[in-house]
Amino acid sequence: MSSERRVIIRTVGLKKQYVMKGVTTDALRGVDVEIYDAEFISVMGPSGSGKSTFFNMIGALDRPTTGRVFIDEVDVAQLTAEELAYVRCHKIGYIFQSYNLVQYMTALENVTTPMVFGGVGPDESRRRGMELLELVGLGDRWHHRPLEMSGGQQQRVAIARSLANQPTVLLCDEPTANLDLHTGQEILDVLRSLNEKKGVTVICATHDHRMMDMCDRLMWIRDGAIERVARRDEVHVEVGSIGEE
Amino acid sequence: MSNVAHKEIKLANQPQLGLGRIFRIAVDGVRYRLFRAAVTVSVIAVAIAFLMNILSESLIKRRLAAGARQELSELRDIHLWAARLTHPSSQEAILADALQEGATIDFVSMLDPADQARFSERAHIAATYLAFFDGLDYDRRRALIHTSRGGAIFDALQDAEGLDAFAARLAEMPAVRFEGTLDVFRAFLDEWPALAAQLNQIIAAHTAAVATLDVARADRTIFTVLAQEGDAFAATVRAAGFQLKPALVSRLREQAQAVLEKQILEGTLSLLESRQFLAQQFDLLPADVSPNDLWHFLEKERHATLYLESIMPLSATLKPFAASRLVELATARREALALERMERLTAGAGGGFLGMGERMGWLLIVSMLVCAIGISNAMLMTVTERFREIATMKCLGALDGFIMLLFVMESCFLGLAGGIVGALLGDLIGFGRMAAVFGVSVFSAVPVSELLSAMGSAIGVGVILAALAAVYPSLKAARLAPMEAMRVE
Ligand SMILES: Nc1ncnc2c1ncn2[C@@H]1O[C@H](COP(=O)(O)OP(=O)(O)O)[C@@H](O)[C@H]1O
Ligand SMILES: [Mg+2]
Repeated sequence: MSSERRVIIRTVGLKKQYVMKGVTTDALRGVDVEIYDAEFISVMGPSGSGKSTFFNMIGALDRPTTGRVFIDEVDVAQLTAEELAYVRCHKIGYIFQSYNLVQYMTALENVTTPMVFGGVGPDESRRRGMELLELVGLGDRWHHRPLEMSGGQQQRVAIARSLANQPTVLLCDEPTANLDLHTGQEILDVLRSLNEKKGVTVICATHDHRMMDMCDRLMWIRDGAIERVARRDEVHVEVGSIGEE
Repeated sequence: MSNVAHKEIKLANQPQLGLGRIFRIAVDGVRYRLFRAAVTVSVIAVAIAFLMNILSESLIKRRLAAGARQELSELRDIHLWAARLTHPSSQEAILADALQEGATIDFVSMLDPADQARFSERAHIAATYLAFFDGLDYDRRRALIHTSRGGAIFDALQDAEGLDAFAARLAEMPAVRFEGTLDVFRAFLDEWPALAAQLNQIIAAHTAAVATLDVARADRTIFTVLAQEGDAFAATVRAAGFQLKPALVSRLREQAQAVLEKQILEGTLSLLESRQFLAQQFDLLPADVSPNDLWHFLEKERHATLYLESIMPLSATLKPFAASRLVELATARREALALERMERLTAGAGGGFLGMGERMGWLLIVSMLVCAIGISNAMLMTVTERFREIATMKCLGALDGFIMLLFVMESCFLGLAGGIVGALLGDLIGFGRMAAVFGVSVFSAVPVSELLSAMGSAIGVGVILAALAAVYPSLKAARLAPMEAMRVE
């Protein structure tokens, strides 16, 4: 069935170099992947392997050095500024490793920001914002600012925010890294149900082994290159060896 | 997982946000970062205060200078009139008056009414040329017109040869900027004899009038006559042809009275006893006692009484005086001196850049520079330290225009707040400094409406500079890809 499935994100020869103080780092050295619509894919790899860079590229948040990114077969490089903003606002939800909440906004305001940018009215965005906060279990803390919340709570606000405009694709950069086991599990359940019930494509960078149990496919990145892509059922038997990695 | 229909990605343009919403977001941002905003506001306030201080000081000075000039000219009325009622004027004096706005020239009415307009026009031109010659340095003046002064200069240039020689020498002085062209000067010289004749006519009438008044005075000084006869003498003066306004008469009378009284009081200094008395008070040698010391001493009622008690028996002239009158005279004299001092200190106010004096104009330019640098630096910092926030907003679908507007709006708030605080602060400092130099009389000379409009401009400068300074960094941030902006330190 995978042969006829729709490709939602495709990269061709994706390379990214960072130049800092004259030192050039090859963060991605030519990545060609296809991610299917409505699949749940985990991106594994040691820290510094290029996972975040890869996310920024496929999320249209940064310019590749060379190579192309297609989102639903549209070349991101061809989009106008307004279309890019529209895609970031409505089509992709981002959950960053470092939350990136706006410090002077309350939890609710943070969650509704993408709705504001998307032109949703104040009452409607407030209602939807509260729903999302309740979904991540922070309904009673909507008026708190990021500095008044724990890391896990901030991450949950960030997750609620990523869902603000019912995105087609959810990019999660280590979403459970800073959460306790219980909350982590809750987050994973949320992601899973979004994927199953609403058909949201979830792309997740993670070290979390529970993620491996629920995803459709797994992708390993090492030193900026794809090491291996496999379906979960192919991997399951070797789980022990991966755990030692 | 595939039992759900495709979620296609349709492209559309991100909508623009309304100004009202951006405004609210900007206000929230400022409210949350109140401390940081306060720092920025104070930087702007200091810059604007500097600017406003200079503006307010120069405005106050200008007002004080105008007031001082006015009061002094009133105080000097008596001396002006004393001179004009006792001495006929000269060509130069009449021409100098012609150059001054509002100055009346006596006896112009002697001229044919048809000639009067032409006369003042010509007199003005002549005065301008005289002012030009007076402005030359000694060598050049000597080379051009020898030792002639006033109307004699024009007399000497009446013959063609003399004028040609003058033109030749003037041509050798490229650094000298002659008033108008030589042709205009020639045309004026042709008219000079007629003007000179008119001037002489005026002077003759003046001389005759002075002679009649001399008879009426009968050896008394002009001050005595004015003080004693007042209105009656004023009628004589008018009959002789002077234009003495009735409103002026009582003032002249009072001032003449004061002049006489001062003469009498200073006259007591010729008594050795008086000098000894004052010398004792001031710990001086009797020979060193000056009228200044006397007046200074008389400023206190107690002292004035003491002086009268000790000197009255020796000098009959002091009989009519009461101690309070002495204090009055001494105080008036001190105030006149203060006015003169103010006139000196404010000299130069009114000319130069924007009518605020050369030095002030320069200071203003410097303060504008300080303002621009201070404010743009403050704004650059506030925007740069928020690149991360800008990046986050871009990740969530903010348009470049939104980010620009947000920051420009925010800067306008800061500029406005800083501008208002700075303008008030600058005013305060200006008042303080002026009050320290000129005393509390400053507060009666506050040019309110000018000051308000200056404050308005200073605040405007603050807002505009702040907004402009925010444009560059926020444009830079808006143009970057979100993650590029996130990486900027
Ligand atoms: N802004 C940057 N400037 C320079 N090098 C960077 C920058 N961001 C990431 N890198 C480098 O690129 C590589 C990949 O980093 P990253 O994508 O963050 O990896 P991961 O998310 O898997 O930990 C690392 O070697 C990192 O040092
Ligand atoms: Mg990372």
